[in-house]
Amino acid sequence: MIKSADVVIIGGGISGVAIAYNLAKKGVRNVAVIEKGYLASGSTGRCGAGIRQQWGTEMNCRIAKFACELFENANEELEYEGDIEFKQGGYLMISSTEKEHEQFKKNVELQNSLGIPSRLLSLEEAKEIVPFLNTDGLVSATFCQKDGHLNPFHTTDAFARAAERLGVKIYKFTEVTSIITENNRIKGVRTTKGDISTNVIVNAAGGYSQQIGKMVGIDLPIYSERHQILVTEAIDQVLEPMVMSFSLNLYCQQVPHGGLLMGRGDEGEPRDLRITSGWHFLEEMTKTITNVLPPLKNARMIRQWAGLYNITPDRQPILGPVDEVEGFYLAVGFSGHGFMFGPATGVLIAECILGEDTTLPIDMLHLNRFKKGELIFEPSVV
Amino acid sequence: MRIDKHPILEFKKGKKVKFTFDGKVYEGYEGETIAAALHAAGVKVLTHSHEKKRPRGFYCAIGNCGQCVMEVNGVSNVRTCIERLKEGMVIKTQKGKGSIL
Repeated sequence: MIKSADVVIIGGGISGVAIAYNLAKKGVRNVAVIEKGYLASGSTGRCGAGIRQQWGTEMNCRIAKFACELFENANEELEYEGDIEFKQGGYLMISSTEKEHEQFKKNVELQNSLGIPSRLLSLEEAKEIVPFLNTDGLVSATFCQKDGHLNPFHTTDAFARAAERLGVKIYKFTEVTSIITENNRIKGVRTTKGDISTNVIVNAAGGYSQQIGKMVGIDLPIYSERHQILVTEAIDQVLEPMVMSFSLNLYCQQVPHGGLLMGRGDEGEPRDLRITSGWHFLEEMTKTITNVLPPLKNARMIRQWAGLYNITPDRQPILGPVDEVEGFYLAVGFSGHGFMFGPATGVLIAECILGEDTTLPIDMLHLNRFKKGELIFEPSVV
Repeated sequence: MRIDKHPILEFKKGKKVKFTFDGKVYEGYEGETIAAALHAAGVKVLTHSHEKKRPRGFYCAIGNCGQCVMEVNGVSNVRTCIERLKEGMVIKTQKGKGSIL
């Protein structure tokens, strides 16, 4: 293990490797990424593999759009030998209440004003996109063709390999045990494989971000909640877009391999970092999805798993430095959409660390917004 | 070879029945699985791998591996190693990953 680094990034998910790559690309190559498992073993590799720009707050829309544009050229930019499997089959969001329909109208207006090509659809138009959609009880839909699917493992691998080619060191199966500070300044990190002295640490620890925050005495206003997913056997292509509903609490897409991947949230999910699987999810998920997409009852489920949403009070990430500890940066609290924001996070945090003007104004995502009470709530989260 | 012992299924050899496989008429016994009847009739290739289209034969025989899935009476992805044979079944080699529509 190297003895010192310009920047140490904690977390080998999409955020960590994307930040490392962007730092190296800008010439900061003495960078270490510390990952306690294998790359993408946390929330990144456990996510629903969806990419959308149809958000309800300006910042989430802008970050998502920026990320999406980066994904479009990622295979080439990262000189990846594999394929990140970016498939822009769109997201079909369905509403089932008048209130949600009204929210959809506001969302589309906001999205269009920011250059996101989403549109409000009637149920007839929605059925043209998904002919077997059961529209009973639905009100309307929105659709954005540029949203879609992306493979979390390949994408993380692409960023990691590109970063390593530029000199970044990635330490897998290495856990951070403590952070060394002196007069409220970052001085180094202790890990299970040795110590690294550094003046800059990035907390990109996903579901474990609060634990890392506590190592420097910062209590992040975040909790990690279990979210579950199931996948069916591979079948012939039947579903082009991701189908998503907030009020019905579901999302479902067919990944390029052919499996139908679906998930939902649950208020009763544990918030104790548990990622075991539960029966309740299985029953609720299958019941809900076969009502909305009836032919799915003919697909056989093969597997389920769980991961952590790292949730902030306003469902927007916390990006940037902290006031209390010099050299400590946050890329945390993505509230279930850290993977799809990944490449944007990489650019923005790298710019922020280097003191450059950031491509998007991230000051409103600073940790101190919770103290000031300047919250803009994201309404569109499953 | 006809399978008469199975780790999770009981094989009660019933009466002789006729079924078709890819348009050809075969005979088997009621109560045995479709895959067992095909195996006894000398059919060794049950599916093909999705990517490279390589032939796949009888493997787990307990409904886990998916190497025996076929179209049975118009339904895709039927695991023939655990599905009982019945008189007049129309069984076809499955093309692709199977339709759910």
